[in-house]
Amino acid sequence: MTSEPIISTNDLNLWYHDTHALQSISMTISKNQVTALIGPSGCGKSTLLRCFNRLNDLIDCVKIRGEILLDNENIHAAGTDVVMLRKKVGMVFQKPNPFPKSVYENVAYGPRVHGIKNKGELDSIVEQSLRDAALWDEVRDRLHDSALGLSGGQQQRLCIARTLAVEPKVILMDEPCSALDPIATAKIEKLIDALKQDYTVIIVTHNMQQAARVSNYTGFMYLGKLIEFGQTNQIFENPREDLTENYITGRFG
Amino acid sequence: MSDKFHTELNRLKQDTTEMAQFARDMLRESLDALFNQDTEKALQVYSRKKHIRDVTIALEDRTYQLIALYQPMAKDMRLIACTLKMITAAERIGRYGKDIADMVKDLRDQPDFPQRLPIPHMADLVLGMIDDVIVAYKTENLDPIKNFTSRDDTVDALWLSILREMLTFMMENPQTITRSAYYIMVARYLERSGDHACKMAENIHYMITGEWIEIE
Ligand SMILES: Nc1ncnc2c1ncn2[C@@H]1O[C@H](COP(=O)(O)OP(=O)(O)OP(=O)(O)O)[C@@H](O)[C@H]1O
Ligand SMILES: [Mg+2]
Repeated sequence: MTSEPIISTNDLNLWYHDTHALQSISMTISKNQVTALIGPSGCGKSTLLRCFNRLNDLIDCVKIRGEILLDNENIHAAGTDVVMLRKKVGMVFQKPNPFPKSVYENVAYGPRVHGIKNKGELDSIVEQSLRDAALWDEVRDRLHDSALGLSGGQQQRLCIARTLAVEPKVILMDEPCSALDPIATAKIEKLIDALKQDYTVIIVTHNMQQAARVSNYTGFMYLGKLIEFGQTNQIFENPREDLTENYITGRFG
Repeated sequence: MSDKFHTELNRLKQDTTEMAQFARDMLRESLDALFNQDTEKALQVYSRKKHIRDVTIALEDRTYQLIALYQPMAKDMRLIACTLKMITAAERIGRYGKDIADMVKDLRDQPDFPQRLPIPHMADLVLGMIDDVIVAYKTENLDPIKNFTSRDDTVDALWLSILREMLTFMMENPQTITRSAYYIMVARYLERSGDHACKMAENIHYMITGEWIEIE
């Protein structure tokens, strides 16, 4: 598996006030691969994920040191367009959070914000995004119904479609299946596998089997540090660090 | 995941160790019965075949249950994988013991060989390998299994030499054909048991280190 890097962090540190939430994280995310972040609650997975599209900027007390490169460009460089950054690096959250609008409007929203006005063009983006999110067949006849009428799993795929509509390079997913049943979860996992054709996916999950199933690389975090990072089969079959071993075999705490 | 899992996993390992020990004893005692023409003892070993079968099925069942319920990872996964192989190999060894025990009555009236054979020596070597495999599995220690390649080479060489010797006996004296043919089978079973010990050693190596080696 040879793969070129798309994101890399170099000695990345983050504080919330005095809480040193990320401690000297250096890692490389490979393009068109799925990378999973695992670790006990509070270890900094969501915080790290939010660094990649600067969502932490929205939190007042945050201080960040160190480097994050996206396609070799420092995302904290002066003059970085944060709106463009978030277009390139999209995010799907734990709880499906569709806008209280129609299915169509949910997906068309992003492209509109980025200046696409033409109805035909929007129609085709909406259809393609919904197809890519494996949702089209289920909603093609109810595009103008409220998105809130969809099932949880459908809402989550709608949120993925919404992310895809602005043609990101990287998709961040923070526990995208934790509110879903096993069937909806299986659909999202299948989708993640398909997405890596065109996108790079970074997923946070508490479900170790899920991380093992969907990802190519896995990072194990503990108390703000990246303890081990490697190919997923190596991490789950033969981890190098005792901490990783203890965590994934449930011998923790 | 819960502590219940690790408690059950430890218990499974302990019971698998005991089962391997039981199978090992079947082989050992069947050979003793053979060497001493002890039909009583042979019968007794033979009668353990149902037990070894039942224990095999019960242990495999428990292993599959643990996999289905807990989806073990890393070291736990490797222990489970190794345990399944241990169960299979031990059952084979026990069944060889049963088969050897079954021969004893047929040999009662067959003339003995004029000279001593290396079969008891071969048996000691193979049993020694099985013992070391069981210790390595039980204590998760590589030391007892580190010379297996050369030990297995010796066993293979003995198998070939016994085969040749038996063929010579059969040609020289047709009276010994039955006994020779049976002893060829015994030597073959011992050679196979040595191979099973090597396979187990490979799996134990994987269980302990996460790396595969080849014992040839
Ligand atoms: N907005 C915030 N303000 C202050 N501290 C925060 C904030 N967000 C997170 N933290 C702290 O930073 C640390 C890392 O939190 P984070 O949410 O990244 O963990 P996590 O690994 O995603 O946990 P979980 O698995 O529970 O989602 C924790 O100690 C947390 O309390
Ligand atoms: Mg989180």
